[in-house]
Amino acid sequence: MIVAEWKPIPELLASLKGHKNILLVGCATCVAECAAGGEREVLTLAPVLKMGLKEQGQDVNIITKTLERQCEPEFVEELAEIAPQVDAIMSLSCGIGMQLVAERFIDLPLYPGVNTTSLAIREQPGLWTARCAACGDCMLGETFGLCPVARCAKSLMNGPCGGTRKDGKCEVDPDTECIWRLIVERAEARGRLEDLAKVRPAKDWSNSGHGGPKRMLREDLRS
Amino acid sequence: MAAAKPDPNFQPEIVVLYCRQALDAEERPPEGARQALGLGVRLVLLPCSSKVEAYQMLKIVEQGADGVLLLACPEKACRFLTGSLKAERRVQRARQLLGLVNMGPERVALRRVSGLSLKDILALAGQMASEVKALGPNPMKGDNLQ
Repeated sequence: MIVAEWKPIPELLASLKGHKNILLVGCATCVAECAAGGEREVLTLAPVLKMGLKEQGQDVNIITKTLERQCEPEFVEELAEIAPQVDAIMSLSCGIGMQLVAERFIDLPLYPGVNTTSLAIREQPGLWTARCAACGDCMLGETFGLCPVARCAKSLMNGPCGGTRKDGKCEVDPDTECIWRLIVERAEARGRLEDLAKVRPAKDWSNSGHGGPKRMLREDLRS
Repeated sequence: MAAAKPDPNFQPEIVVLYCRQALDAEERPPEGARQALGLGVRLVLLPCSSKVEAYQMLKIVEQGADGVLLLACPEKACRFLTGSLKAERRVQRARQLLGLVNMGPERVALRRVSGLSLKDILALAGQMASEVKALGPNPMKGDNLQ
């Protein structure tokens, strides 16, 4: 899922300064799963913003709405009836959904309520950890299903580095596993340790974010 | 919110959300508005304290209640095993958020109780009222969230 987290409350309050009628819009998909922008979080943040702004002398009216998906125009259209009633929108979706809402309601200022941070799984209740970096050249087949791009602090293609702790954790974060240690362990368990010694061509980064904005085109699906 | 001037006539309004399982077996579950000890009390019966989410407690404060008191069972005595633990975490979350906007985390509280009577509930509401009285009236009184 796409993972996001609330921006600091003071930053949110500052961004809404001067507005009177605000639409707080959530997304019931990824950001709901990571407890940042689903209906529950929208309903939590709305009174917090209202009280915070009141404390600063600003009375506001907050309308709440959670869309099934903020990254699909059909769902964003549900906001068309509400938009004329507000003078600002705050979105709790990932940056993708936010931009679609901003594009649809071009006359209204849109403020991000969250920072989009990663592509992650819910590893435990209340803990999300990154699994994918959308690098554009997946190498999971060579690394036994463990991604060193997203899960190695240095995104090393050949690890582990010399910084692995004695307990197998990453030198950068004592709570994070050294992913290359896990890759080696999995290779050993499958009796394929020698696969890691093979010389592989350099990873192709041209399909990652370095080559400018990504476009994916499927002629057979175009109307 | 900045400390209000003490008002001798200020009668806090307390919303008490209480777990059905924490009630004395002989007690008939009370609900609705009551007046007690110079304060207004609204009683809300819950099948379990975990039925309340942080956003609901925040909304009650945002709509003008001076305090929200959640009465939950002792941790080991929760009929649904982890219900009162969830309730405690949600209260912590609500208090944290209230603190971030200077509304006073004290406006939301949890007490672990058992064998409650109506008299006990009103007494606990009275204690809660005395704790939030120093904060003054909730500045949100009269506002409503759409």
